Amino acid sequence: MTRYLLGRITAAVITVFAVTIAVAMLIHIVPGDPVRIMFAQSQGTTPEQLEAIRSRLGLDLPIWEQYLLYMSRILQGDFGYTIRGNQPVLELLLARLPNTLYLASASLLIAMAIGLTLGFIAAYRRGTWIDTALMVTAIMGVSVPHFWLGLLLLFLFSVSLGWLPVGGHGLGSLILPAVTLGLTNAAIIARLTRSSMIDVLNQDFIRTARAKGLPKAIVLFRHALRAGLIPIVTMLGLQFTYLMGGAIVVENVFGWNGVGRMAIQAIFQRDYPLIQGFILMFAVLVVTVSLVIDLLYALLDPRIRYS
Amino acid sequence: MNKLPISMISCALALMLGGMEARAQSEVVWARDGDIDSFDPQRATSTLSRMVWYQIYDSLLEFDLKGELVPSLARDWEVSDDGLAITFHLQEGVKCHDGSDFTASDVKFTADRALDEEKPSLTKASWGPVSNVVAVDDLTVRFELSEPFGAFVPFMADEFTSMICESAAEHGDDYGNTVAIGTGPWKLESWTKGSEIVLASNPDYVNFGRPVDNKGAPHMDRLVISTLPEGQTRLAGLQTGNLDVIVPPVEAVAEIKADPAFNFHTVEVTGQNMFLQFAAHRFPFNDARARQAVAHGIDFDLALDIVFEGLVQRELCPVSSGVFGNDQKFCTQYGQSYDPDKARALLAELGHGPDNPLPIVLMTWTGDNRSKLLEFFQNQLSMVGFAPSIEVMDIGTLNARVTTENQRTEGPGSLNLMGWTWFDPDILYLLWRSPGAYEGYNHPELDKLLDLTRTTVDPKQRLPIVQDVMKHLLEEAVHVPIYSPGWLWMYASRAEVEGFKLGAFDRPLFNDVKF
Repeated sequence: MTRYLLGRITAAVITVFAVTIAVAMLIHIVPGDPVRIMFAQSQGTTPEQLEAIRSRLGLDLPIWEQYLLYMSRILQGDFGYTIRGNQPVLELLLARLPNTLYLASASLLIAMAIGLTLGFIAAYRRGTWIDTALMVTAIMGVSVPHFWLGLLLLFLFSVSLGWLPVGGHGLGSLILPAVTLGLTNAAIIARLTRSSMIDVLNQDFIRTARAKGLPKAIVLFRHALRAGLIPIVTMLGLQFTYLMGGAIVVENVFGWNGVGRMAIQAIFQRDYPLIQGFILMFAVLVVTVSLVIDLLYALLDPRIRYS
Repeated sequence: MNKLPISMISCALALMLGGMEARAQSEVVWARDGDIDSFDPQRATSTLSRMVWYQIYDSLLEFDLKGELVPSLARDWEVSDDGLAITFHLQEGVKCHDGSDFTASDVKFTADRALDEEKPSLTKASWGPVSNVVAVDDLTVRFELSEPFGAFVPFMADEFTSMICESAAEHGDDYGNTVAIGTGPWKLESWTKGSEIVLASNPDYVNFGRPVDNKGAPHMDRLVISTLPEGQTRLAGLQTGNLDVIVPPVEAVAEIKADPAFNFHTVEVTGQNMFLQFAAHRFPFNDARARQAVAHGIDFDLALDIVFEGLVQRELCPVSSGVFGNDQKFCTQYGQSYDPDKARALLAELGHGPDNPLPIVLMTWTGDNRSKLLEFFQNQLSMVGFAPSIEVMDIGTLNARVTTENQRTEGPGSLNLMGWTWFDPDILYLLWRSPGAYEGYNHPELDKLLDLTRTTVDPKQRLPIVQDVMKHLLEEAVHVPIYSPGWLWMYASRAEVEGFKLGAFDRPLFNDVKF
């Protein structure tokens, strides 16, 4: 177990390290002079001032020195300032990150509640019309674009029924974006749950449990579900990070004030410090979630715990 | 067990969830597709930022509905005979949002800050050759120039010269982030970045020049400026009553105009000029005939009719209506009329035609039906002997790409549909005086004329020079004007919202708003 954990943590650190290299080099990969592009909106910037800015950003240094400079700033919590508006990048990211986390978490809860239930029922009733109907619904859910579904739900629940507000930032405003993201991901979880549970329900230990005369509920929920959850837990971690990325479209549709929407705007505006900060933050989040999932995996599967 | 009727459940749900978003009484909610960059009028340039500054700050002067200069914080002004000194006499009794008196010292502070060598305003160049600013007394301030500058006085009506109260200095670099201190009708209450700005009515406000009926504080207690990127979502908000004023999606305009529940507003004078410009230093557009062929090859009136259905006006001058120098009759003489035969003849002189089409790239930025317009142009240009392809991108990328195209020495001919806005023909100096905004076309004679437009102060003497500049740009087809306005000029409001107005140069006015 210790070796397993140490291995996972080492891999996480290496991944983040690799991302910092890519992020630091981002400004050199894009075409054109990045400093000129950054100050395209300024009438009064002279060539001398552009050189001074270039020097301040360390862009006149060798690439390896630029990377060290970048890392020393990052490790001190200095993510730089936005080109537009000169606002501290870390502050902006931290202010909006919780909103994206709320949205992703709420969506995941909805996706799990619906997906696990439907997948479980489909597996239990496999081969019946219930199984077929549920899986067809799941395929439709995966195929529907977030943008379209979001607008549909908005016009139904906000405009036609008047049950929910348009825009805003309270609990009521979270429901529609969370349901939009959650529904499409519920479909993925449902299909995975079905596959996993069918596999488990065919195992010998389940047949033994039934033969011993255990109540059906005990067989299903104490024995089958726990074993079936192991691959699903792994997938949920990936789903969470997928939801964080998918939140970008949904945040735009509903005006939900998360980091995804901010990242899109930063890309359009070529605000490199903000783009770099977002990529780094997102990478750290994904790596952290993956690490947590790996730990959960070890807790659920004794074969890992005692290795 | 009794079953609750669905209507009662609906009400309960709506109260619980919608009520959490209940709006404060006496507030007006305005939704746009983006947020501001800063509350500091010297640290940003976006139109979205400027519109918010206009709510918080006043300038020394103001524009009336026709775009003419009128007093604002300055009750009058004088220009010396040599054009090197401009003196403004300020209104009495004006208060800053923090309660301090607005005086000449605040004007000097604003100007010195904009002209600072280390951290100048992003629009420092538009202030012109200011050498000194003198607070003569509390109500008199004098700007001293090293040479005459014709655009200086009109610039004092722009949002970029919004008067910042001197107490802003206490906030250092944080100014514009969480603090904004002006004299305008609305005071900053809070800013949730990316989400909403809340402004409170300024009880001390006195209106001197804004084109509104209300001479005092706004009627509403709060103005909430909300960011909702998706147009359909803004429309939904208007329909549900969550929003009071929105920038509508273009595709919904017909529906809004037909619905008595909404009012539709457009700005007549925006100063926005949508035009074609070219990578004019390399083949084919280094030859005026190629540029003229493009202008002759497109029926702009038909294009605008089909794509915009009356929402924009055909513009024939390089400066738009409401801007000094605009004269459609004058400009008609020098631009290129729709004449596909002439376009073919010009292209034939360059060795190209329908059998040997000339490849070119048409570019513009996303939104406001511009890509549809380019598709129309592509169609018409391909009929006269061009082989146009289209590229549409965000405005930041477009600006960078245009400069890149101007630096390339080979490749297909490049032209783009661009839009700039300004209240003075000085815009032509910013665009075309070498090296120019995009380091493209340059011409020594044009440069001399543009220099004169800056140093000539008297309007009667300035007008013929501005006309000479426009004549050059039009005859040479360097700047092919097409239409105005071009962006953020349409608004929709709920019918219950009374008093919403739009000032010249796209300035939303909420002073008179009440429900």
